[in-house]
Amino acid sequence: MAQMRLGSSRDIPGRKREYETIYILRPDITNEAVGLVNTKIRGVIEAGGGSLLKVENWGKRKLAYEVQKQMKGMYLFFSYLGTAGLVEEVERNLRLTDSVIRTYSVKMAENVDPATRTSDVTEESFAKAATPRPDEEEIATGQANLRAVFGDDDEGAFDFEEAVFGSDDDGPV
Amino acid sequence: MSMERDERIARSTGTGGSATGVATGDDRGDKKRSVGRRKPCKFCADENLKIDYKDQALLKYFITDRGKLVPRRISGNCAKHQREIAVAVQRARMIALMPFAVTGE
Repeated sequence: MAQMRLGSSRDIPGRKREYETIYILRPDITNEAVGLVNTKIRGVIEAGGGSLLKVENWGKRKLAYEVQKQMKGMYLFFSYLGTAGLVEEVERNLRLTDSVIRTYSVKMAENVDPATRTSDVTEESFAKAATPRPDEEEIATGQANLRAVFGDDDEGAFDFEEAVFGSDDDGPV
Repeated sequence: MSMERDERIARSTGTGGSATGVATGDDRGDKKRSVGRRKPCKFCADENLKIDYKDQALLKYFITDRGKLVPRRISGNCAKHQREIAVAVQRARMIALMPFAVTGE
């Protein structure tokens, strides 16, 4: 691993910088592959002494312009704390991945006390970030697996007769 | 009494602001009046509105239909917030949430 970058003189020891990284994946990627990329980035962040604050998957969005011949992409959003040099490592790993078509990192704050910022990421929310809700095009063309999203919810089916005529065991008036 | 009031009104209307004959600024370029009271900066007025490059729904009001940034004198922003908007829009453009340019189709 290359030598970690020396921090600036503004850095207070014991405090970290807050970063946000957004990367865009190809739209034809499978959910397992998304999970793999996410896990890899999480590993990079934690190996570099950072702490993950938030992971979000914005799903497949239409891009404002064509990026690598694609008009849609899956947006992943990571918010994390880290020391100097961590974001270089994260971006390097992302750029090496084939399925990532764009990556962008922003430093949001300096000298953040790590104790004050708790992580919103649980195992469940992290796994959920690999399975976004289907976007409109998929729902319209019937490719979306709606049952996987909403579950087998037959109890909520609309009962026409009961709604119009009422049931026999209505409570006392 | 109402007659006097009507007379006063009739006398005061007519040439705007220069009844005494003194040339004022407004009078000179009557075809292009000044905008008047500047509308206040949205972000200064409301403390809770944060400018975020990820918030495309908020930022889309500050670009034209061609995708260009709206100038400050139109949007009414103060200088500080206009700079923040500009930075946010440029970042949003880099992550393809907003276009760089929109051709008129």
